Amino acid sequence: MQDNKQAALALGTKPIGQLLWQYALPAIVAMTASSLYNIIDRAMIGQVVGPEAIAGLGITFPFMNLSAAFGAAVGVGSSTCISVKLGQKDYATAEHLLGNTVTLNLIIGFLFMAVSLLFLDPILRFFGASDMTLPYAREFMIVILLGNMITHMYFGMNAVLRAAGKPKHAMYSVLFTVGMNILLVVTFVWWFRWGIKGAALATVTSQSMALCWQLWLFSDKKELLHLKRGIYRLKAELVKNIISIGVSPFLMNATSCIIVIFMNNQFVRYGGDMAVGAYSIANSVVMVFFMFVIGVTQGMQPIVGYNYGAEKYDRMLRCLYLAIGCATAILLVGWGLSMLFPRHIARIFTTDPTLLDLSARGIKLDMLVFFVVGSQATITNFFQSIGKVKISIFLSLSRQLFLLLPMAYLFPLIFGLDGVWYSMPASDFGSFAMTIPLLLWYMKKFKRS
Amino acid sequence: MNHIIINVGRQLGSGGHDIGRMLALDFQAKYYDRELLNLAAKESGLSEKIFEQNDEKKGFFRGLFNIGAPHVSGYKPDLSQESLFQFQSDAIRKAAKQGSCVFVGRCADYVLRDFDNTVNIFITASMDYRVEQIMNKQHMNAETARRFIEQGEGKRADYYNYYTGKKWGSAESYDLCIDSSKLGLVETEKLIAQFIRKRFEQ
Repeated sequence: MQDNKQAALALGTKPIGQLLWQYALPAIVAMTASSLYNIIDRAMIGQVVGPEAIAGLGITFPFMNLSAAFGAAVGVGSSTCISVKLGQKDYATAEHLLGNTVTLNLIIGFLFMAVSLLFLDPILRFFGASDMTLPYAREFMIVILLGNMITHMYFGMNAVLRAAGKPKHAMYSVLFTVGMNILLVVTFVWWFRWGIKGAALATVTSQSMALCWQLWLFSDKKELLHLKRGIYRLKAELVKNIISIGVSPFLMNATSCIIVIFMNNQFVRYGGDMAVGAYSIANSVVMVFFMFVIGVTQGMQPIVGYNYGAEKYDRMLRCLYLAIGCATAILLVGWGLSMLFPRHIARIFTTDPTLLDLSARGIKLDMLVFFVVGSQATITNFFQSIGKVKISIFLSLSRQLFLLLPMAYLFPLIFGLDGVWYSMPASDFGSFAMTIPLLLWYMKKFKRS
Repeated sequence: MNHIIINVGRQLGSGGHDIGRMLALDFQAKYYDRELLNLAAKESGLSEKIFEQNDEKKGFFRGLFNIGAPHVSGYKPDLSQESLFQFQSDAIRKAAKQGSCVFVGRCADYVLRDFDNTVNIFITASMDYRVEQIMNKQHMNAETARRFIEQGEGKRADYYNYYTGKKWGSAESYDLCIDSSKLGLVETEKLIAQFIRKRFEQ
């Protein structure tokens, strides 16, 4: 505990560059690893199973988002509560929280699986599946849903590992899952030719292996926090606390689910199944670079937060500028690559000429002003770090919801399929244009004080 | 007993603040109410303003904070209310080790649950009495005062219940609960002081 306090005080004194590097690196590694896994997953499916399969996979994203939203609600909620209790050395309650997390994950995981399996076809139709993509989406989702309880447990335990003072173990289990997944997806899809369900099976299998390891870690009786009898029965107060923290991350995740559903439907309407496939390809390219930015902003958060709190505003601003610089530099690289070689990038995912054309154009349009997203995302996160959570929520919703949805509805009425693509850079730029004045206005306040 | 710690929980307008001060005089103890915020600020290097803004509050959207950095744990050196609470608790423990104290609010009864020289008091009062107190102190009319009390106590209870896992104002969480409007502040304080003396005689 004393070490952690030293770490807190170091935030106010150590050089900013060094701090940002130290805090951002683990986050960047974890984020990049998971986006890398996404790329390989989709590339395997696109290359081996075919272009319809990648469109089918695109249809299932909102499902994954929704499942992740439930996972995050419990994971974030319980890990926060556990770290509070550990801070108070209240180990008995912390253990009950651990047990309750397991139970909650099992219950929610099971209910989500049962409801989704029961109404799988209508839900997928609602998400934008056509007669051609439905079989692929269904085949993929059945395996994923059957493993849903494992997925929830895996994410939940990972969050608890972090809270329990084992952030390194949590990172290892992410890296292990990603590595294992890549290995298995190549084996199942490319070698065994199991089709799209092979990819799903790879995901579930690698998560179950990581889960076994996590459970083994938590069953060590020498650990302060370990699994034992009598902690699994749900306690109303504990559940209430977990949910009260978990609601807001849930809502944020659920929002992205709604957006993807809407976008997929727009793409199907104006460009057919192949357009959904192209969207899913463009999206994973965007994600690789964007995840990097998320890593940087996560590293920035504690540094900015602490220095704001300690009223060291010049350190806080220097950290913000540095983070904006890093994020923008990364995105400039991504932007340059996408503008110069969109076809080569799309070629990673597919050989089908129609999908190749659509994706290459899509990548180019989607990422037209991609480099402005760096400052937009960093500043949004900046407001969160200094406790202006409402401004931060407004900014992040403005990009995804308030600007994107109306534009994605209106633009295609004029430009057709291209209009759907245009809505993305337009909302990127629009939210950037909103963020900058807000920051400037805020800086004036700092200068005055 | 070399030194004693008195934790005072209180309904808004019940006079808990004043009773706490009188108890501190009686037992030659240091008195901590808002003073705790200053201690917590010193402990953490953060400014007092931050602690003031988050004093005995638990916000809804603040939950988003905790999505943050996946590799920092325990003392998360951010501005989440959870880590502010942690700093504050440490300040409370530090003060409690140094000598006799009276703590008003801030879950001190829970934070110091492992200390055996504590006594936990909760002070209530009838709604009418509290409304009157608030009206005089804050210069409000009866209606506003009533709403002020209801909102303030909702927040206080959320805060207490979240961090302690106990129920704020429920008799079993305390050693002594008393209605200050029956005897008046001075007499109530005397009674409490007597209770405390008896408690530490054994």
